[in-house]
Amino acid sequence: MQDSLRLRAEQAAGQASLGSHGSDKSSPDNDIRNLWTRATLSQPKLNVPRSSVGEDSDMEGSGIGSKSRRWYNLKAGRDSDGGWEEWDDGEDKDSFRQEDLDESSLLELELRRASSLGSRLGEDVDSKTDTEMSSSESSLNISKHTPHRAYWMEQQNRLPLPLMELMESEALEILTKALRSYRSGIGRDHFLTKQLQRYIEGLKRRRSKRLHLLVH
Amino acid sequence: MSATMKLKQGSFLWYLYLDKLYCLLSVRNVKALLEYFHLLDVHHNNTLNDVLFYHFLHHVTSWKRTQIMTVFNMLDWNAMGEIGFDQFYMLVCILLAQQNHLEEQFIFRHSRPVFELLDLEGELRIGAENFHMYNFLFNIKKQDLRELYHDFDITGDRRLNYKEFKLFTIFTMDKYQERQKAEKDKDKGKKDLLKKKRLHHVNVSLKQFLGINVSESRL
Repeated sequence: MQDSLRLRAEQAAGQASLGSHGSDKSSPDNDIRNLWTRATLSQPKLNVPRSSVGEDSDMEGSGIGSKSRRWYNLKAGRDSDGGWEEWDDGEDKDSFRQEDLDESSLLELELRRASSLGSRLGEDVDSKTDTEMSSSESSLNISKHTPHRAYWMEQQNRLPLPLMELMESEALEILTKALRSYRSGIGRDHFLTKQLQRYIEGLKRRRSKRLHLLVH
Repeated sequence: MSATMKLKQGSFLWYLYLDKLYCLLSVRNVKALLEYFHLLDVHHNNTLNDVLFYHFLHHVTSWKRTQIMTVFNMLDWNAMGEIGFDQFYMLVCILLAQQNHLEEQFIFRHSRPVFELLDLEGELRIGAENFHMYNFLFNIKKQDLRELYHDFDITGDRRLNYKEFKLFTIFTMDKYQERQKAEKDKDKGKKDLLKKKRLHHVNVSLKQFLGINVSESRL
């Protein structure tokens, strides 16, 4: 019985990935959820075989697949010399890797759930609504995990935001006082004074932009 | 001039710490410090000029202008009028060593770079006036300085070469460790005394309690 369920699940997952619309028997209320479920299942990333998901998590320094890494490389603005590899002290490195593995195993679990639940997408069963809700939830979970991985990868190589905030506010105070010295020392029209002034304005703009994003 | 320097509470440097054995920053701290340095490097030269340097130290420490400029001249060993990240890192380590009372350990662990910093003229010898000038950096007391020149000036030229200086750092480190040990023993002694007093108090209370019970039962 379980084998047949599994077979159906795999077949359904295969159909979903091909973008089949053969089983459009849902009620009007569930249309959006259906589309959402099919859309996420049709993403090529999610059809990655389970073994390769496990392989990716074993790669050195991260539990993230190569696609996320490429995304990160495109996204990262400034090149860092070494990389912010450890957020916590050495003794926390193991727990961090544990977290990575847990994320990958969690993703695997979600993939399995999605494929097993996807088998019921086209079936005419009484608990169809519940099934579709849970499948859409599981696909929501999958899509939640995938971007988060790239996010965490990026966060690993950057300084934490509160620290950046502290450093920038302090630097701003220091540079504002330095600007007064520049003006009194070499004059307002000197190119170094103007350069410093522009720099301070740029720093203020960056900070206010970030604060605005945080608030909203 | 020789008042102990204090870092401004809540400033970025205040949150950093040195490894207590090697008196150096961790890789993570260095990365954060580098980012901070780049924030202050407004002209994108990978350096800080004297004005930026002064305002930075004035903001985060309790040093006066003369002390700050003395430090700048010491660190600007190429006489470029600017200091790079290497010198900045060295300075931060010195500041943190002072903040955390690790001066002796710091001088012991990094005797060569400290010697080179103090050797302003590049003569491979340090005179007493060098020490006096930078006394506020390493908190070397006058009494220790006198001992230094009396006990370690083996060559008798009233200046210390590197080997003599190294001997001094080893001696200072030994004294520091003995002081630490004495403090630990003192603390331990106090704790033992406190424990004994508590035990005695408990015993007394128990006896009183038992004594009362026995007298009640007799009645």
